[in-house]
Amino acid sequence: MLASPNSPFERVTELSMARNVHERRTERQLLLILLPSLALLLAFVIYPALYSVYLSFTNEALTGAAALRPRFVGIRNYARLLNDAKFWNALLVTFLFVVGSAVIGQFVLGLISAVALRRRIHFRRLFSSIILLPNAAPEVVAGFMWISMLAGGEQATLSRIVSFFGVTPADWLQVFPLSMIIIVNTWRGIATAMILLTAGLSTIPNEIYEAARMDGATPSQMFRRITLPLMMPTILLYMLISAVSTIAVFGLVYALTRGGPGGATELVSIYIYNQSFTAFQLGYGAAVAVVALLISLVLGIGYVRAMKVEV
Amino acid sequence: MAVISPSENANKTRSDLLAYATLSLISIFCAVPFFWVLIASLDGNAQLFLRWPEQWTFANYLRVFTKEDGAKWLFNSLFVVGGATVLVMVLAGLGGYALSRTRAWWKLPFLYAILLIRVLPPTALVVPLYKFLLTLNNAEGAILRPIFGEYTRPIMRWTGFIDGYLGLILVLATMQLPLALWIMKTFFDGLPRDYEEAALMDGATLVQRIRRVLIPLALPGLAAAGLFAFMSAWGDFLLPLIFLSSPELQTLPLGLFRAFLRINEIDYGLLAALAFIYLLPAVVAFGFARRFLVQTFAGGVKG
Repeated sequence: MLASPNSPFERVTELSMARNVHERRTERQLLLILLPSLALLLAFVIYPALYSVYLSFTNEALTGAAALRPRFVGIRNYARLLNDAKFWNALLVTFLFVVGSAVIGQFVLGLISAVALRRRIHFRRLFSSIILLPNAAPEVVAGFMWISMLAGGEQATLSRIVSFFGVTPADWLQVFPLSMIIIVNTWRGIATAMILLTAGLSTIPNEIYEAARMDGATPSQMFRRITLPLMMPTILLYMLISAVSTIAVFGLVYALTRGGPGGATELVSIYIYNQSFTAFQLGYGAAVAVVALLISLVLGIGYVRAMKVEV
Repeated sequence: MAVISPSENANKTRSDLLAYATLSLISIFCAVPFFWVLIASLDGNAQLFLRWPEQWTFANYLRVFTKEDGAKWLFNSLFVVGGATVLVMVLAGLGGYALSRTRAWWKLPFLYAILLIRVLPPTALVVPLYKFLLTLNNAEGAILRPIFGEYTRPIMRWTGFIDGYLGLILVLATMQLPLALWIMKTFFDGLPRDYEEAALMDGATLVQRIRRVLIPLALPGLAAAGLFAFMSAWGDFLLPLIFLSSPELQTLPLGLFRAFLRINEIDYGLLAALAFIYLLPAVVAFGFARRFLVQTFAGGVKG
């Protein structure tokens, strides 16, 4: 006789088969509850992203003859892009905007705040709450507040502050438009930099600083030799996150300047909007959008690698 | 033994003073614009610049609701953003659980994909999104019109994809989904499987497990995911700008923006009051979300 039905061997296989069946059913159920999220992302993100690539090869428009019968125009939109001074201007403005506000402004002020808030001083919670506040303001409210701050005329808030220091008042958004939107976006994003950098700072063990202090290191030496090198991974991650989110800024600048005066603050995001919904050139707007998508994706791949996804 | 010399003590005091000084300057920079909105909203004769009111009044707030359609805008914003937030919490709760517990091949590709989706600028997506929603909207209209006739438009106001609540809610929710899925996945990763396995042993079905075990355990994670979705959707200006056009669907950001565009009759007191009403829920939500901020960002740092 072969193994009886009750042999230990048989029972084990039965159990593992039951577990297998059970596991497969669980996996099916898990996929099922993920499905609604997947469907929304496919329909409203992935499909539009791919569709914009298709649109960028057509002369699709919202009005006129092309609106009724859009045609495939090959790479004509991209050829037009290369010779479009306004497009290159938008790229340059976006680049300066990202470097000025995310890479320099938010980073420097966020790092100073993070370092200062590590000291055992009073009102720490109050200070950090105030610094977090601009981040909470909706885009349009932030734009509206700064229209007031930066308004022309001697009585306007910024003009009165600087004339106290002997600087001539100006109509700030007209005279220094790009610098002003950089300052406003810096204002809005100090908190993000501060939070990320605070988290990074807290991973540096205090013993290192104590040892350095024993050896007679000055604070600035400690900052350059210990803090900065150990913070490099955090700084890199911050740079990637803030660069992609700054490229995506639209409402804040649109509410402030709508891209003007004369394209001085026309970010790529605003240029896409103006081409598509003011000039109604959907095909051409899509070509600009594809360029923006590609730039963001390249930065995004760096971000994904820096995140080191844990499974 | 640590012996603190007098010079070291003086050094400490000096750098403390430096910290106070820089933090005060940065705080003033951050806070001044808020002073203007708050003070101007209570000023009977508000101007575009910061000034101390001669008479304090709540009349500006009253006028938001009597002279303008403030109540309608507030309702629309609360309804659309609230709907999107609830949708995000449900979908991200379920999806985040699946992402945390599955061992299937698609787990890693999916996680990479949602990180990449987060970096796509919404402005680059709205053109094709607009075309796609327009197609859906026309299809829906073509189906509903023969059935409901003249009632189609009032129905489409709720269920339409362009210039309707449903379309805006779905798109707003989708834009918040990647971060919410990420938060919930990380949250469930930190929950031991023991509870579920115990429930499984007792023969609980998936639905029972979710309702009796997982939802109670997941509440803090859901709160964080919901707050972040709410704040981001509440502050968003681009999507309502593109997908809404009828006055009766207008939300707070559109109301504020368009009221400001009427150059010749700008009423700064009213605008400031409107801005403050729009600002308040965002600040309150931010206050609640504060303790999750560090976790959410720091979790990102550690990976």
